Amino acid sequence: MRRVSGTPAARIALPFIVGAIGLAAGYLLSVSLSGYFVFLAVSAVVAAIAILGLGIVTGSAGMIALCQLTFAAVGAWIVSLLNVLNAPGGFIVWLILGGLAAGVVGVLVGLPALRLRGVNLAVVTLGFAAAADVTLVQIQFPGSTDGVSVLRPDAFSDDRSYFFFSVLVLVICGIGVYFLQSGRWGSSWKSVAFSERGTASVGASVPGSKLTAFAVSATLGGVSGGLIAGQVGLPFASSFTPIQSLALYVLAIMSGAYLIDMAIFGGIVWIAVPELLKRWGIPQDWGFVIFGVLGVQALTSGSNLGQSIRNAWWKRQAEKRPVELAAPLAEAAGRDAVTAAPPATAPAPADPSAAPVLVVTDLGVAFGQVKALNGVSLAVPPNTIMGLIGPNGAGKSTFVDAVTGFLPQHTGSVSLDGRDLRGLSATARARLGVRRTFQQDRVPPTLTVEAYVRFVARRRLTIAEIDDALAFFGCPTARTRLQNVDVGTRRLVEVAANVLARPRILILDEPAAGLSHEEHLELGARLLQAPARFGMSIVLIEHDLDLVRSVCSTITVLDFGEVLASGPQAEVLADPAVMKAYMGETEML
Amino acid sequence: MRKHVFYATAALAASAALVLSGCSAGGSGDGKAPIVVGSVNTKSGPATFPEASLAAAAVFADQNAKGGINGHKIDYKALDDKGDPATASANAREIVGSDEAVAMVGSASLIECEINAKYYEQQKVLSIPGVGVDTGCFDSPNISPANVGPFNDMTLTLYWGSEVAKLDNICVLLEIAGSTRPAYQKAIDTWTKITGKKPLYIDDTVPYGASDYTPYIVKAKDAGCKALAINPVEPDAIAQVKAANAQGWKDVNWLYLTSVYSDNFAKAVSDAGAGIYVPAEFYPFTDASSDINKDWRDLMTKNNIPLTSFSQGGYLAAKYFIQVAEGIKGDITRESVTKALHDMQPITNPMVGTPYTFGTAKVHDGNTAGWPIKLVTGKNAWELNGDDWITIPKK
Amino acid sequence: MLQGALAGLAAGGLYAVLAVCLTLMSRLVRVVNFSQAATGMFGGFVAVWLVSHAGWPIWLGSLVGVLIGGALSALIGLIIATWLPEADTTTRSAVTVGPLLLLISLSFILFGNKPQPFSPILSGPAFSIGGVVVSQVTVATVVLAIVVALACRLVLTRTSIGTKLRALSERPTTAELIGIPARPLSVAVWAVTGIISALVIIIVAPSQSNDATSLSMLIVPASAAALLGAFRRLDLAVIGGLVLGLLSGLVAQIDEVSFIRNFLPFLFIIGFLLWTQRKEVWDAAR
Repeated sequence: MRRVSGTPAARIALPFIVGAIGLAAGYLLSVSLSGYFVFLAVSAVVAAIAILGLGIVTGSAGMIALCQLTFAAVGAWIVSLLNVLNAPGGFIVWLILGGLAAGVVGVLVGLPALRLRGVNLAVVTLGFAAAADVTLVQIQFPGSTDGVSVLRPDAFSDDRSYFFFSVLVLVICGIGVYFLQSGRWGSSWKSVAFSERGTASVGASVPGSKLTAFAVSATLGGVSGGLIAGQVGLPFASSFTPIQSLALYVLAIMSGAYLIDMAIFGGIVWIAVPELLKRWGIPQDWGFVIFGVLGVQALTSGSNLGQSIRNAWWKRQAEKRPVELAAPLAEAAGRDAVTAAPPATAPAPADPSAAPVLVVTDLGVAFGQVKALNGVSLAVPPNTIMGLIGPNGAGKSTFVDAVTGFLPQHTGSVSLDGRDLRGLSATARARLGVRRTFQQDRVPPTLTVEAYVRFVARRRLTIAEIDDALAFFGCPTARTRLQNVDVGTRRLVEVAANVLARPRILILDEPAAGLSHEEHLELGARLLQAPARFGMSIVLIEHDLDLVRSVCSTITVLDFGEVLASGPQAEVLADPAVMKAYMGETEML
Repeated sequence: MRKHVFYATAALAASAALVLSGCSAGGSGDGKAPIVVGSVNTKSGPATFPEASLAAAAVFADQNAKGGINGHKIDYKALDDKGDPATASANAREIVGSDEAVAMVGSASLIECEINAKYYEQQKVLSIPGVGVDTGCFDSPNISPANVGPFNDMTLTLYWGSEVAKLDNICVLLEIAGSTRPAYQKAIDTWTKITGKKPLYIDDTVPYGASDYTPYIVKAKDAGCKALAINPVEPDAIAQVKAANAQGWKDVNWLYLTSVYSDNFAKAVSDAGAGIYVPAEFYPFTDASSDINKDWRDLMTKNNIPLTSFSQGGYLAAKYFIQVAEGIKGDITRESVTKALHDMQPITNPMVGTPYTFGTAKVHDGNTAGWPIKLVTGKNAWELNGDDWITIPKK
Repeated sequence: MLQGALAGLAAGGLYAVLAVCLTLMSRLVRVVNFSQAATGMFGGFVAVWLVSHAGWPIWLGSLVGVLIGGALSALIGLIIATWLPEADTTTRSAVTVGPLLLLISLSFILFGNKPQPFSPILSGPAFSIGGVVVSQVTVATVVLAIVVALACRLVLTRTSIGTKLRALSERPTTAELIGIPARPLSVAVWAVTGIISALVIIIVAPSQSNDATSLSMLIVPASAAALLGAFRRLDLAVIGGLVLGLLSGLVAQIDEVSFIRNFLPFLFIIGFLLWTQRKEVWDAAR
């Protein structure tokens, strides 16, 4: 039973409805609050927009960015400049341009950081913030020398209507962020935060994901800076210091700013703490002390306010309705339903005349002196399932890494449908049609099943297709959150998603680990049908010989990095060398 | 988890309380209604001037003990803008808009004059800052500070250096923040107009709050500067002197501004080269023997307010206001105070070298006198360096 | 030109010492400690307070200040080691942003925001090269940077504690399982780097700007210097710090680039890093 809120129309309408409510609330506040509080409220909205941006780069994409207010300064600078030049378009156009300029700066700051892992990026951003601060103090904002104040938009020139205007901007930004987060970019951010390898293996560009996160976050920062310029008329460097960027960062972490409502909450806290200190007669310096303490607390407890509230809410929901498996929709004939085609019971034999999908020639990988792979050659026929077996440490995962592009230093060649993959990155290979799943869990738990599947498949999918594939593999429903799904089932989701991508070849690295034996075989039965249904070949790395026997038409055996045998199933399994290496001399099939 | 929910509810409740308290109308009864006066000050963060508003508050409290102004008590609000423009604007709106103050007295902020000048003009309210710092304080018809200000002070220190100490090869190093460059240039040009002399060079790239000024000191030493005229805040001044010490530059003369005139600075600097010279904006407070500062000194000591030139400024601003307001016949409202300040006669006070006036001038930068003081090596204390005010000649 | 560069060497020595501490922390306890300079600053201010307000002798006040700086650092390390032992470097480093903020504001509250009257341990010039005086403090910091880097290298490669530390940094769980006391060792590393940074700040602060913000923000050039060695190599961290100081001094002399003066050292390091890391490498774990 699909809930109403799951329908596409509802999903698009919901944020607009919430936005309209927010606007109405903003209007009411603008007329009812006293003048002083209206002014203060503009500061809260501005901070909320900046924190919204931080939520993307820090909360979703998992990078530390300590220069958000410097991007705001860029926005304020552009707005002031356009004001002094009397550029056409008025404040609103200048605000947009300021945001875009800040976005460009964000990309420039993010570029060098792409090569630098994680926390090095934080150093770059802090250095940028400190250098920009000193420069700003020296060169000042355009117009401040002559006291030329930034002109607010005509319709919103007094404090109250400017507050309403800023709420309007916030609502627009919020809606924009919502759609970004629930779309492809949002999934790529969450994925890259969780695992860069996982992201690359589904054909999403890791640098691209990081840069878009930076760009969007900086744009939001720039917009908030432009609003500050309109608010105070004469922007000063003291609004955009590195220390304040640090405090904003801490606040974003603490509140869980990747959730839009928590970004707004963060904005309120940003002005509420100093206000409360003022009312209680406590020196303002304690404000940052409080932020520091709260930040440490939030990070060490590993959760944040917003997530805690949501977890509590979701846990109650989950208790009421446990994770349900997708049920295939019964549809009219003509659709590619599960029950339409008779299930295959035996592995489809290889068609010897067809050109192999994947050809690996003399593949070698060395880690220092250790030769992990040595002279490995094999060919995977089209629309077949090849098993890749071998004892632990034989080099199977290394093989997968090399073929899919994660070990660029390998010798030998890999070609897909006759095209040599030399020099192509993992991302490029994934886009060409080489897909893999991982032994370790690389499915980001912060996504829903549907978002993940769409992200992995990289093509337009109808809800029906998704539901169908999920049901086929015995996965939970599309709306389920992956964090509520156990690791074994997440693997199935990973398989289903990669299958939906319609790759040329799909390499599954122990996909059934974490499932019971019966579930192993069920998965095998499903996989049997995949080549025929989806037109792909599968390479299956497995330890369970029953599964291998029932599913794989060809088998390659690896041992100590070398191919022991490769060919049709019956031959390979009867090969005495294979029996000896893999199963020991006394074991008989 | 429960803790988080608790925090969230507490924060939301507090915000609601704030909002609701703001919604309530501020009512002041009739009859002996208090006179509301306010100030916007930078009281937290790296550079602060809390003493000015503390001094003004002490003066007003003292006045209230004597019965107030014409029987009305003074209600003084001193807010903290944290050096942040948005907060400074918000503070002004609170004091002038919500609390309906009759005047701003005793403000001491890095930025508030420039930010709020237009708002004050719109709201037809006048401001007597205790310590004017940014250019807007000396550039607005609605603001007339009690102090000399850094720009006139720069002219004074150059003038003293070249005309009294007969120094040549004076180099000007400037720490520029915001829109102060043209104002400092004007100050230097005024000195040139009066004396016909020019600085050896002007370096306006000296950064605020740098940890090490050695490169700038080395550059100056190499250029052959005999004296350095700089406009730093106190921590930067200490760093500059230390950098020169470390280079062994023993014969440099330092021409600083009132911003370094504090006991803290004197204690921190033992090696002052050939001497540190400052034209103090008010009669030097370190001269304990003189009677000029006695009333101020007693009031500050009684209230435990630090003895600095900033508290002198706040004290004077409050005294000026009281003197003007006492002369108002009738109700003390914003209009009557504004009129009184526009029509006032200049007030002479021995603590200042120039009589104070507001009037209807477009700009108020008429306080042009300073008392020379010096800090010499090994003394760790400021001393008088002259027996009268030096004034910028009108040429 | 050269004179300007030499003039920047004092700052360079300071950056080098802090960069060595940062690199050590990054390698051994997997943290980029943003509060490295702030804890040293706080210890220094305590020392000043003890000397100027409580009347203690300079050596005693400084000693206590250094120890307090170390203790603060150890406290932060204890918090991280207890609650985030398995977290990645990014999360652990993010935690140190809180103390950076906290300590600056706390020092304003406790010690006021006027510059502190440090009594110098070392002061004055040491010798002259080509007309530029090299101060005692410069000599002290440069020597300290080299000595600390060498000492760390020796300890890490030649002693059993060093081996345990290296094991701990690469495989914390395994190390614990074979009996290496993870938490005490980690906290010890935090304490030692805290003591070193407090010491260098107490030495340098008397000759420089010594307010809370500028001292704590020394983390910026220090981390730029450590970035040169990719937070792994002690020798590059020392070189990076010294070069950064020299560059800053050099660039301050050239008026034409005054506009981007503040960015130049940073750009230099980024450029160097981009060039050395131009091949994409997949992190083992991710």
